Amino acid sequence: MIGLVVASHSRPLAEAAVALASQMAGAASVPIAIAAGTADGGLGTDPLAVAEAIRRVDTPDGVVVLVDIGSALLSAEMAVELLDSSAAERVALTSAPLVEGLVAAAVTAGSGSPRAEVVREAEAGLAYKQVQLATVAPQLGEGFPLAGLGAPQVQAPNAGAMSAIVSVVNEHGLHARPAALFVAEVRAVHADIRVRNVTTGSGWVPGGSLAAVTTLGAVKGHQLEIQAVGPDARQALYTLVAQTEAGFGDGAGSVAAVASAEPAPPAAPVLRAASPGYAVGPARHLRAVPIQIPQWEPGGPEEQRIRLSSAIDQVAQELGQIKGVALRSPGGSGEAAIFDAHALLLRDPAILAQVSARIDAGRGAAAAWAEVLGAVRAQFEALDDAYLRARAADVRGLADRVLRQLLGLGSATVSGKGILVADDLDPGEAAALNAEEVTGIVLAEGSPTSHAAILARSLGIPMVTGAGSVARHLPEGTVLAVDGSAGTVRPRPDQATVVEFKAKIKARRSALKLAAKAARGPAKLADGGPQVPVMANIGSVDDAVRAAGAGADGCGLVRTEFLFHALRQPPSRAAQAEVYRAIASVMDGKRVIFRTLDAGGDKPIPYLPVAPENNPFLGVRGLRLCLQYPEVFADQLMALIEVARDFPVSIMFPMVADVRELREARILTARAAFRQGGSVPEGLKVGVMVEVPSVAMKAAAFAPTVDFFSVGTNDLTQYCLAADRGNPAVAALGDALDPGVLALIRALTRSARGRASVSVCGEIASDPAAAPVLVGLGVRSLSVAPPAIGEVKEAIRAWSRPEARDLARRALACSDPAAVRALLAAPRPPA
Amino acid sequence: MADAVDVAGIVAWMNGFQRRVHLEVTYLTDLDSAIGDGDHGVNMDRGMAAVVAALGPAVANGSVLTVGAALHMVGMTLVSTVGGAAGPLYGTMFLRMADGLAETVQLDTDGLTDAFARGLEGLRARGRALAGDKTMIDALTPAVDAMRTAATEGATLAPALAAAAQAAEAGRDATAPMLARKGRASYLGERTIGHIDPGSGSMAFLVAAAREAFGA
Repeated sequence: MIGLVVASHSRPLAEAAVALASQMAGAASVPIAIAAGTADGGLGTDPLAVAEAIRRVDTPDGVVVLVDIGSALLSAEMAVELLDSSAAERVALTSAPLVEGLVAAAVTAGSGSPRAEVVREAEAGLAYKQVQLATVAPQLGEGFPLAGLGAPQVQAPNAGAMSAIVSVVNEHGLHARPAALFVAEVRAVHADIRVRNVTTGSGWVPGGSLAAVTTLGAVKGHQLEIQAVGPDARQALYTLVAQTEAGFGDGAGSVAAVASAEPAPPAAPVLRAASPGYAVGPARHLRAVPIQIPQWEPGGPEEQRIRLSSAIDQVAQELGQIKGVALRSPGGSGEAAIFDAHALLLRDPAILAQVSARIDAGRGAAAAWAEVLGAVRAQFEALDDAYLRARAADVRGLADRVLRQLLGLGSATVSGKGILVADDLDPGEAAALNAEEVTGIVLAEGSPTSHAAILARSLGIPMVTGAGSVARHLPEGTVLAVDGSAGTVRPRPDQATVVEFKAKIKARRSALKLAAKAARGPAKLADGGPQVPVMANIGSVDDAVRAAGAGADGCGLVRTEFLFHALRQPPSRAAQAEVYRAIASVMDGKRVIFRTLDAGGDKPIPYLPVAPENNPFLGVRGLRLCLQYPEVFADQLMALIEVARDFPVSIMFPMVADVRELREARILTARAAFRQGGSVPEGLKVGVMVEVPSVAMKAAAFAPTVDFFSVGTNDLTQYCLAADRGNPAVAALGDALDPGVLALIRALTRSARGRASVSVCGEIASDPAAAPVLVGLGVRSLSVAPPAIGEVKEAIRAWSRPEARDLARRALACSDPAAVRALLAAPRPPA
Repeated sequence: MADAVDVAGIVAWMNGFQRRVHLEVTYLTDLDSAIGDGDHGVNMDRGMAAVVAALGPAVANGSVLTVGAALHMVGMTLVSTVGGAAGPLYGTMFLRMADGLAETVQLDTDGLTDAFARGLEGLRARGRALAGDKTMIDALTPAVDAMRTAATEGATLAPALAAAAQAAEAGRDATAPMLARKGRASYLGERTIGHIDPGSGSMAFLVAAAREAFGA
């Protein structure tokens, strides 16, 4: 069978065209490959992708390539040249219109027709519309250009031909799907079939050509004459008449799509400034495959419940990852709390009970979930309080996330760099924004108190909310001038406005740059003491770029589990080395500390499964888990060592409790170095994270075996105070400035002094107020969220060493974290 | 001043072109917004970032040793990363420039001129555009002619590329009064008159970057 390739600028366009074609009778089995969009999801075409798509559907029968506009043709031509010559000969490029051509080609290919015929049918794909709109003279019958199937095109009945007259019963006539079914029937029979519209007096057309049959313009009630010639003529006629009279099974509702019942917006929204700054650029609509709730879902109630609960588990895991992103953005720790709230909503027993009741009543999982969550959202929308009303968007986002998971749909994306235009953003979508791609945000709905607004502010993306339905109908690519400070949006700004905005953007950027410049210099204590390196905590190459730009003195924590979190299989050693190398080279010779995979606890990794545990935080996580997967661990160590041969790299093991674990990890490191090509690289340093309180107390036992300690205050605090960070009832207890935690750090720095350095990479290090206390306790470097670098450096510069030591002493003497915070907030006597 | 182009020179050329494209991304986008889909600047910026990321390390670690291998890598990278019509066009140009240079370590003025001429031929074949169709060819054709004249007169790289860069800029500016006949701009017909063709804009940068890398 002929394979088809769609080469398009737009993946959604290509996918939709393929969906239309695959719906046609007999077309479902046709292999269709898509080469569309750029690798980063933008609009564009890629010759290599087209070549790859051709290879995927290539068979000895050949391949037909359909292209959309502009560069698609250039890319397709180049792709053919990239193939070897025998494969290239099997490929035909066609000038057919993409949608109509694909539909016609799929139907024709589905019947096993040869390549030339597939191309001919595809290129005739516009015939129906042209005839209907009379843009070309009707040429039915003899002159019809689609003389396919070799049937003689004559008006007079053939000798030995049989014919029958039948009425069209389909509501919309013999178009599209019914027409395709008719053609499919024709092609399945051993007879030459031609057909004409008796009612309109059309000429004969070949029954095997979809394009030709649709030009008959047969609407409901028209009479068709079908003529058959050949050995099976009688049987063929019988079948075709029966199928046509039965309407090809195209009864009402068989392909009914359920539109999502969107309630009308209550009142006209008002434009509001939601995040300051200016932007000019093309409108980029946030596009998602629309969610359609199927009327029927496979399986009984128990199966529905299992599907729903696994979708909820998956979403909960995604939220955990998004929460990690939020935690790493400035001011994000408050934002991260919303994801905990979402996790609670996902598991809300009242909601789940209602959903379960509906499932018992025979609803599918998606339908039941959509109905119940729709009601919850409506309740929020009806509230008087603006803040609570804004939570309706959160509920929508969460509900949609679960539905997308259940129905296997991807999440929403934009097509390229520019100004994001959407109805609203849920916190998950907002946290996934890339400030490089999205230069501004215009929401039809939304509010300045939404989490999306808070995240936009923290990312420095200007945003305006309440732009109304106008925003929804802006054509993709319309240039917008967004003033996120005044809360205005101007579509199609004139030249003067563009110039004015560009000047404003530039001015704002240089002001921010000045601030960043201060962040680049070294942070030395006020009395000229040694520099306190302020490094960055990162989880991606983009983070590294941001950190380098923000003046980081290196990376104190690379969360390697974030680099590959989307994978189901362990990343290859080469893939790992590539990313590690990218980060190290971005940091331009400054030290980068990679933490080995830190999974388990609240951070599952698909390719490092953990047996179910009653208490995962006290179970197999961090280094303990890696030691259970020695091959995965060895690959990571080898990748790190490879990069360490060229860059100053450190390896840090998480969740170490015992010297024997460290020793085992060090042996594996040495073995990895040997397997990777020789000795342990000279510049490689090895350290452990201090998260288990006992490690701080027995640091002397670790010190001879490590180059450094890095305090993970988040886990250290929750273990030290027995307070789960994720449990709102006790979360307030878990303050890293608790004097008990500070005392552990003090014990650690004392034991380590002169043997290993101590740094802090937990959240508390990002708090400028805490910096002097930590330095006073003997901490030699800090690793912080990239946006906090400047402020933390400034804080360090404001203190002398004796002052910091004195502050630390007084903090250790406090009775609780509140007292420590009061001490830090107290005005200092002028130096 | 270099008398010949080697792989390090290609790296310098590409780095210079990337910097220029990156600095001028708005200019290129503005040109394209006037008569096309407004993505030329962003597309070229993305493509050249990928070229720079791939080429420098490959030369540094010895996996790319010849001029031909370097040009080939540039072409293949652009093909797969640019996204717009400029991908196959610039990609073809560099792949054709690489033809026959797989073992070549150094190119003199004649060699570089021949390479540019092959690239131009590739562009013509790929885009089926003629001089005066308001395309990147209108910047490259006069540049190659100027180089050829200079090379025939025995010029070294510096004067040859200086003449080429000047000719490319003049060719670019001359696209303004033309009527676009190729690509998406052709849909706009008469409205394209008065605007410089974005492809000729980036092409002029490419030749200028060659002058800076090899000629100064």
